Amino acid sequence: MRSSAAAGTEASAAAPRKPFRLSRGALAALPVGVTLALGFLAPLATVAAYAFATPKTFDVFRSFTFANFAAVFDPSNTVWTSFVWSIGLAAATAALLAVIAYPIAWGLTRVFGRYAGFVSVLFVFPLFVSENVRLYGWTLFFLKNGVLDGTLKLIGLSGPEVLYTPGMILFGMLYVYLPFMLFPMTLGLAMVPRDLVEAARDLGASRLMIWREVELPLAMPGILIGLLLTFVLAVGAVAESKVLGGQSVIVITHDIEIAFTFAQNWPLGSALALLLTAIVSALSLVALSKLDLDRILGRR
Amino acid sequence: MTMMTRRNALKLMGATAAAAPFAGALPALAARDKELNILCWEGYNSAQVLDPFRSARGATVKAESLTNDPTMINRLRAGETKVWDLINVNNPWARKAMYPEGLIRPLAKDEFEPFFATMAPEFKAPYRWAMSDDGKDLLGMPQRYGPYSFVVNTDKISLKTAEEQGWDLFNDPAVKGKYGILESDDWNVFDVFLVAGINPFKAHSDADMEKFAAAARMIFSGAKLVGDIAAMNQALVSGEIDFHFTGGVYSVSPARADGHPNLRAVTPLKGPIDGKGGVAWIEITSTVNNPALSPLAVDFLKYVQDPKVAHTVAFAEGTFNPVAQMGNKACFDLFTKEELDAIQYDTLEADMARCAEYDIVPDYDKALELMTAAKRAKG
Repeated sequence: MRSSAAAGTEASAAAPRKPFRLSRGALAALPVGVTLALGFLAPLATVAAYAFATPKTFDVFRSFTFANFAAVFDPSNTVWTSFVWSIGLAAATAALLAVIAYPIAWGLTRVFGRYAGFVSVLFVFPLFVSENVRLYGWTLFFLKNGVLDGTLKLIGLSGPEVLYTPGMILFGMLYVYLPFMLFPMTLGLAMVPRDLVEAARDLGASRLMIWREVELPLAMPGILIGLLLTFVLAVGAVAESKVLGGQSVIVITHDIEIAFTFAQNWPLGSALALLLTAIVSALSLVALSKLDLDRILGRR
Repeated sequence: MTMMTRRNALKLMGATAAAAPFAGALPALAARDKELNILCWEGYNSAQVLDPFRSARGATVKAESLTNDPTMINRLRAGETKVWDLINVNNPWARKAMYPEGLIRPLAKDEFEPFFATMAPEFKAPYRWAMSDDGKDLLGMPQRYGPYSFVVNTDKISLKTAEEQGWDLFNDPAVKGKYGILESDDWNVFDVFLVAGINPFKAHSDADMEKFAAAARMIFSGAKLVGDIAAMNQALVSGEIDFHFTGGVYSVSPARADGHPNLRAVTPLKGPIDGKGGVAWIEITSTVNNPALSPLAVDFLKYVQDPKVAHTVAFAEGTFNPVAQMGNKACFDLFTKEELDAIQYDTLEADMARCAEYDIVPDYDKALELMTAAKRAKG
């Protein structure tokens, strides 16, 4: 029996060449392509267009001005501090999570054995609960006369006053984004062939040397993906600074929210969003240029 | 005769499946007599309010709640007049922004004016905020309202002290770290002006704005936290803070109803708005200038005037508030003593008399910018 693909090839060879005819693959991809264009690219394009619209108007696609960017870069505008806080907190989150998640990921691949699945579920499970609910839970835990303080008072002590501080925001971000670092990192560590570790050990390498020369370089793609994922997610975080931080810090996503709501200035909000996207994309591209995705996904 | 092959049958089934979602699309676009979309503050979107209306009319009612006026009005400005049938925002927006901008349409006076006769005395027709600037058109219906200045824990600061000191309470360096700020930026702009001793609802000089900026920096740098209503009530109950900036019956009533009568909305005895120090809000619900406005919009506005429904609106989930329909004995009698206590009915009239009505700040954009900068400086 002839395959339909072969029949198609013969038919197209016999017929006169038609310009713009889509291949079957392209046709099959069309629904996904259209969905992506409408659902992903169109909103992005609209935000980009709004960024160049007259401030405080809805003249998108009908006006073009750099006034919104001029307002952002005006020396008297302190919005740069929000960018610094967002990027700084995200960088700190990614870096600290790399250190925190590494031993857990190592345990999942090397130590926990048949319990590894169960431990993974424990880390995944919180993701099924709304982030705001989890953060409010922590507020109740650390609140004056809350779970921690109330319990310590029973034995004559009192809880630390940590709520509504930048440190608490960082804690919230570490808590929320841990799974996004842990699982890519686990994948990276799972890719390290045991034989190589054994061989290094047989050849007299110390534990530190094995980690530095064998394990870390081979797991690096997974670690880099984890760093990238947590950084990109954390740079857009706002709930942590609002709920746990009591807005002790204004992050850039909060500024964007203010522009779109109370300030009634969608073009300014769009300009801030576009700048944030550009910064995050540039940083991501640098990281991605150091990754070999083929190697990570298929070891080709 | 053409035989139906298995391949043809499959093609036909596929085409039918693909076309099915579009089959009812055209009639749905044309007639909206069983569909209603409401853009509102929370309460009108609750099942207690909507479900009886849904079942009585057999209608699909969608309500989206937001917690600030500018966002809702922007949604209409951005083209969502085609989506919504009713919009529920605070008093100045209908006559000063939405009607002049063509975002809402007037109501039939003969159908709605009789409802004003049974409302509390201050809402008698022609009620200013329900009317167009020229006084000719009826633009919406009032319902929930309340004083909105600040909230104190009366165990820590007596009501008398709070009322007498008024906004000067926030000028006292000794209160640093003892108060929170409700995240409600439009109201915070009003209240920062009031702390600076300036009437918010007039055009401001550069000197006024400098005073405003200084007051904003002082208030935000001294705050323990900035957060939403839940965060404020939680912090008051736990003792994290003694009082909070911007708030009123609307924000504190859930905590009062929950067994914390020591938390109380305060209206200053005096202030810079022609002697008044408080600000009050009154919600006006209007029909959106939707090219295919649902006939249920007008029905719903009449439905919420009913004494029982008005009582449900007053005590819908989220926040509890007085309603204009309490002027009708049939409505007022539905409120229990506990409910009246939760909405501070004992001082409502006196508090409202000390309040100016919510209005638009002429230089709001500049003030918001200065206030946002003060927020950032806190970090």
